[in-house]
Amino acid sequence: MSARYLLLAVSLGIPFAAAFPQQRDSMPGMDHMAGMKHGAPGMPIPMPKGMPMIPGLVGLVPPGGTFLPGAGLDPQQLPAAKPTEVVRLNEGDTLDLTAALVRRTIKGHDFAMYGFNGQVPGPLIRVPQNATILVRFHNRIDLPSAVHWHGVRLDNHSDGAPGVTQEPVAPGASFTYRVHFPDAGLYWYHPHVREDVEQAMGLFGNMIVDSPLAGYYAPANSEHVMMLDDLLINGDTLVPFGGAGPNFALMGRVGNVLLVNGEPNYALHVKKGEVARFYLTNAASSRTYNLSFGGAPVKVVASDESRFEHEELVPSVVLAPAERYVVDVRFARPGRYAIVNAVQAINHYKGEFEPEVDTLGFVTVDASPPKADYGRAFATLRANSAVTREIDRFRPYFDKPPDKHLTLTVQVTGLPLATVQFMTIDTAYFAPVEWIDGMPDMNWLSTSAQVRWILRDDATGKENMDIDWHVARGSVVKLRIVNDPKSFHPMQHPIHLHGQRMLVVARDGIPTRNQVWKDTALIPVGSAVDLLIDASNPGNWMLHCHIAEHLGSGMMAVMHVDR
Amino acid sequence: MIHVRRLALAVAVPFLVGAGPYDIPLFSTPKAPAASGSARLVFAQSPFGIAVTADGHAQYDVQVTATALPAPSSLGAYSVYVAWAATPDLQRWERLGTITNGTTTVGHVALDKFLLVITAEANAAPKQRSGPTVLHGTSPSGWLQSFLNHPMFRGITG
Repeated sequence: MSARYLLLAVSLGIPFAAAFPQQRDSMPGMDHMAGMKHGAPGMPIPMPKGMPMIPGLVGLVPPGGTFLPGAGLDPQQLPAAKPTEVVRLNEGDTLDLTAALVRRTIKGHDFAMYGFNGQVPGPLIRVPQNATILVRFHNRIDLPSAVHWHGVRLDNHSDGAPGVTQEPVAPGASFTYRVHFPDAGLYWYHPHVREDVEQAMGLFGNMIVDSPLAGYYAPANSEHVMMLDDLLINGDTLVPFGGAGPNFALMGRVGNVLLVNGEPNYALHVKKGEVARFYLTNAASSRTYNLSFGGAPVKVVASDESRFEHEELVPSVVLAPAERYVVDVRFARPGRYAIVNAVQAINHYKGEFEPEVDTLGFVTVDASPPKADYGRAFATLRANSAVTREIDRFRPYFDKPPDKHLTLTVQVTGLPLATVQFMTIDTAYFAPVEWIDGMPDMNWLSTSAQVRWILRDDATGKENMDIDWHVARGSVVKLRIVNDPKSFHPMQHPIHLHGQRMLVVARDGIPTRNQVWKDTALIPVGSAVDLLIDASNPGNWMLHCHIAEHLGSGMMAVMHVDR
Repeated sequence: MIHVRRLALAVAVPFLVGAGPYDIPLFSTPKAPAASGSARLVFAQSPFGIAVTADGHAQYDVQVTATALPAPSSLGAYSVYVAWAATPDLQRWERLGTITNGTTTVGHVALDKFLLVITAEANAAPKQRSGPTVLHGTSPSGWLQSFLNHPMFRGITG
């Protein structure tokens, strides 16, 4: 450390440490880090290349202690995680789903993590539309848990939202969910207790609900599920989670190892001219992806709860946390196509944008043709008139005044002085979407005890769980959400509403031209987004940010759909 | 002089922050001193809600609102006003479209930082900018600050 750094550390860090409850003790489990990718030896978290920790933060650790799954256990004693198995279920079938510790080997390092039925991702549940199944969930991990059936318009009592629809399932206990699938599409399941830990450690899986309609999607030669997430590793160590609540509370935990289906090197082999259908889910805690397929043409077909009104060719696929997209990709020529996440990151030290490209894997295309040539079908951009007809019922409500207004903002207390100073300085510009964690040192040290993310009802001033919205079953509710650009740290928020479906009818006053039913919508910084909610499913339903650390820092409310 | 510029920045920033991450105040030039205007960046239509290029650049349409622009012909042999996006080093200019008094949407622009420049031109599709500038502004991203250059830390963090 240079004398200059020391000077700043003395001028900012040490006086602060005396004034605030930030800990300077060594962090359990952090004393044996080796082979760190960036930063100086002994640095507790990986920093972007060329960026040192802010001097005033050196030596601090987040308050509230730490947590890692299977503390004290030798990962070698745990069963190795298995790849996902497809479980096809029909009306009335029952599935036993057990969350338990597993051993995962990532980049040559063994970690104690979690899996459903020993798999990461968990079993791919494939059911026909309108089926109802029972899922007996068994919690065998070292935290309370529950399973939320994300996007599924099921009965309220099976929504898996502790504190709203059930009590957390204690370690060793079980809970039975009755899951009804009224809509065809791509869904996923994950815990709704300490998502920042449990989901990040591998507790997630997909559900594909098949329509009975022939030709629901255009023909494709193959289908592939890709669950995207990331993992934050420092050398051979998982960066610990907050013990009392989430750390990384400002921006959410953004990993430095990008995973597809739990593995760092996705590989797929297809034939020349093949149309491959990808079912994409963003299961990451905080990262928004911008995914492309090595220049192969990509056609977006469907999203969370339905097909689009009309298919579109797109240069890339943007997925906020919890969003899903179904895309068709045609690989016309033999060769190797890199699947990349390409973003323009902000280097806050330089005040510049910098391209950042992560390769998630490769698609190898061999020279032989597939059995069927679907090139012509791929080239046709279908209009899904059934989707349009159904949405037509809601179109008269598109221009009505909002029924509800929410403002997204944040309050902070007790953050390190250096963090406050730097973030106060860095207020000239906030990107509408922060694609990476450009300030991991500040982010790591922020916890849910210091950061309170807020949904504020503009009409009443009530915030988060004090919001007490009641709407009538069958009503069509227009909700305008404004993401305050003037808060201490404005950031995008993927807002998820349980148990209902919604349309994004306008963004910043510009009507959406191609509708699709959603359950999660990205609200960029400074944007006003109008959501039209089909409030048809009675019960008490959570509305929250799906950045796990923001949820864990309070950013949730409940909407009651009265019978 | 450097300190004067920094002072100006310190005064300007709070105003721009108040305008949010999409708003561009436009400033007039001696060629059209009575003109005024502003612009707002809106994401181009996309099935994902936000429009992004494959390499990650946000893709915006630009809503330009102008008032008191004189007739282009009053400035010389010009017939239209054209909006341009230019990189901060002025090496790359992209023609966005023609504008008039009132609000006009032009675009797309997919530059991280850019200047928005309105010039009078002889026709609606000039290959390059050649006429006089009447309004100009900076994309909000142009205000992104370097920690290392901030006076508070300059000379300390090296």
